[in-house]
Amino acid sequence: MNNPSDMAPAWLSCPECEAPVRDRPLPKKAELRCTRCGMRVKADRGIHSLQPAWAFATAGLFMALLANVEPIMTFDVAGDTQSNHIVSGVIELAKQGYGPVAALVCFAGVVAPVLHLAAIWYVSSACCLRRRWPGVRRVSAVVEMLEPWNLVPVYAIATVVAVVKLDMMGTVDWKAGALWILVLSLCSLCAAQAFDRELVEERLEVLK
Amino acid sequence: MTDSARLQWAQAMVVTGIVLYIPANVLPVMTMTVVGTVEPLTVLGGVEELYHDGRWPLAAVVFLASIVVPFLKLVSLSWILFMHGKPQWQRQRGSLRRIVHSIGSWSMVDVFLLAILAAVGQLGALAGVKAEPGGFFFAGVLVCSLLAAEFYNPRMIWQTGPA
Repeated sequence: MNNPSDMAPAWLSCPECEAPVRDRPLPKKAELRCTRCGMRVKADRGIHSLQPAWAFATAGLFMALLANVEPIMTFDVAGDTQSNHIVSGVIELAKQGYGPVAALVCFAGVVAPVLHLAAIWYVSSACCLRRRWPGVRRVSAVVEMLEPWNLVPVYAIATVVAVVKLDMMGTVDWKAGALWILVLSLCSLCAAQAFDRELVEERLEVLK
Repeated sequence: MTDSARLQWAQAMVVTGIVLYIPANVLPVMTMTVVGTVEPLTVLGGVEELYHDGRWPLAAVVFLASIVVPFLKLVSLSWILFMHGKPQWQRQRGSLRRIVHSIGSWSMVDVFLLAILAAVGQLGALAGVKAEPGGFFFAGVLVCSLLAAEFYNPRMIWQTGPA
């Protein structure tokens, strides 16, 4: 299976505008672009393994656990100290009567990143171990769906802004959780980058 | 879902987003209590406060992420939807949609910020942060523009003729 294009159909559908694009074997590092909208249809990105994606997803899942368990920062005003978790913001918003906003924060800050990493983990481990695990294709679609919702990097920026604002009111101290959030955002960015969709398709095709 | 239903949903979402954009920026998103003084803060007010404190790089990030990005997003989505079915500018519309899609989520900074700040709301009368209704509208603008981009499938840019 060195040359998968031997088996692929002669026409591909552009993922963006669905125009038909004639398939051809690609030289190294070359890419095939849609003639209508200019979107990349197929590329030889030089990645021939899903192991990096698997590794980043595994690391990311551990980081997600740590980031949610350890406090991000402690805030101190006149002797009153309070430590802060990702979840405490969600709970506090819900308590103040902003349920929908709390749900949005919970989804984009906790649920979606974990599900996104778990889905990448599931698909890439199935591909790496060459196992025909149930529902791999559906999980692979979930990865695509959840990608714009994995907002941990945005959360990291918000943490920095929050620390600056709180600094005007009292004493703020970074805690380990902030570091885990930073590492988690790097892991999810790398995992999403290393998760090559065409490679997954190719591997799943072989497993079938 | 049929394409014309998708188009209608996308249009409805953009219009809702534009309507919600006004209260989202006029109403305060939170009140900060600092040593007894209660201070309601709008999104822009928060940016101003950062700026006056000398943190202009952060102020710029927040200003871009929570005011400029949602505005540009609504404007470009309206233009893309307005041009639906017309044969001009299709390539440009496609790349604009892609840009909107990739920068759109950055406006979540303010919602996350609200959540982090609200978590310290229990420090008695001396200091605290309370969420205010502006947050609702702000989150509403965000969800509406995300859903509009989701409903309007990129392949629909390439359809010509009446929807």
